[in-house]
Amino acid sequence: MVLLQLDPFLNELTSMFERSNEKGSVWVTLKRCTSSLKSKVQRNKMATAGEAIEYRCLIRATDGKKTISTSVGAKDHQRFQASYATILKAHMTALKKRERKDKKKAAEGDKKEGAAKKPKRV
Amino acid sequence: MVYITSWDEFVERSVQLFRADPDSTRYVMKYRHCDGKLVLKVTDNRECLKFKTDQAQEAKKMEKLNNIFFTLMARGPDAETSEVTGKEQMDAQPTKKGRGRKQ
Repeated sequence: MVLLQLDPFLNELTSMFERSNEKGSVWVTLKRCTSSLKSKVQRNKMATAGEAIEYRCLIRATDGKKTISTSVGAKDHQRFQASYATILKAHMTALKKRERKDKKKAAEGDKKEGAAKKPKRV
Repeated sequence: MVYITSWDEFVERSVQLFRADPDSTRYVMKYRHCDGKLVLKVTDNRECLKFKTDQAQEAKKMEKLNNIFFTLMARGPDAETSEVTGKEQMDAQPTKKGRGRKQ
């Protein structure tokens, strides 16, 4: 599996979302990993010695065919988080908007929802 | 596995699950555009919590959960999640486990 830098990962994630528009799903997994240390024993030793452990968050994404991954540390996770949220917001357009309570304009509402479901391609 | 229907319960239980075993807990998001469905899963390979939705509103809430997990995973279990969530209930949890604070 390829471990990408943050920006290439985000680009690839974007195209994964675009490719799965017609059919298919996208999975994104977050998992903690401690980059520099190989074994759990080693980690525990450090923890008892009171040494600081550097945590990183491993992010994997797949569309069932291709898998990409990256990892963020304490320094850059906030920046990554913001870009990641933007991508999600831009691509999760098939989710339903909140249902309106007044059903008088149901016909109009349907049209609007239909339009909302199909994101305008640029 | 049965889906959890309440969002707050899902968040609370998944954070608890992570804190109990941060090394083997993972958080998976699955998005299916053609069906307009979003499934969130948190598991430590023993217990599995799932949440399913098709509402755009819940996706906004998910953003907050993403922030919680990014913070917890990248900064370690002692990281404050309250600044991201603005929820006070999260404050009470780190002290209980006290991981990595043996002095």
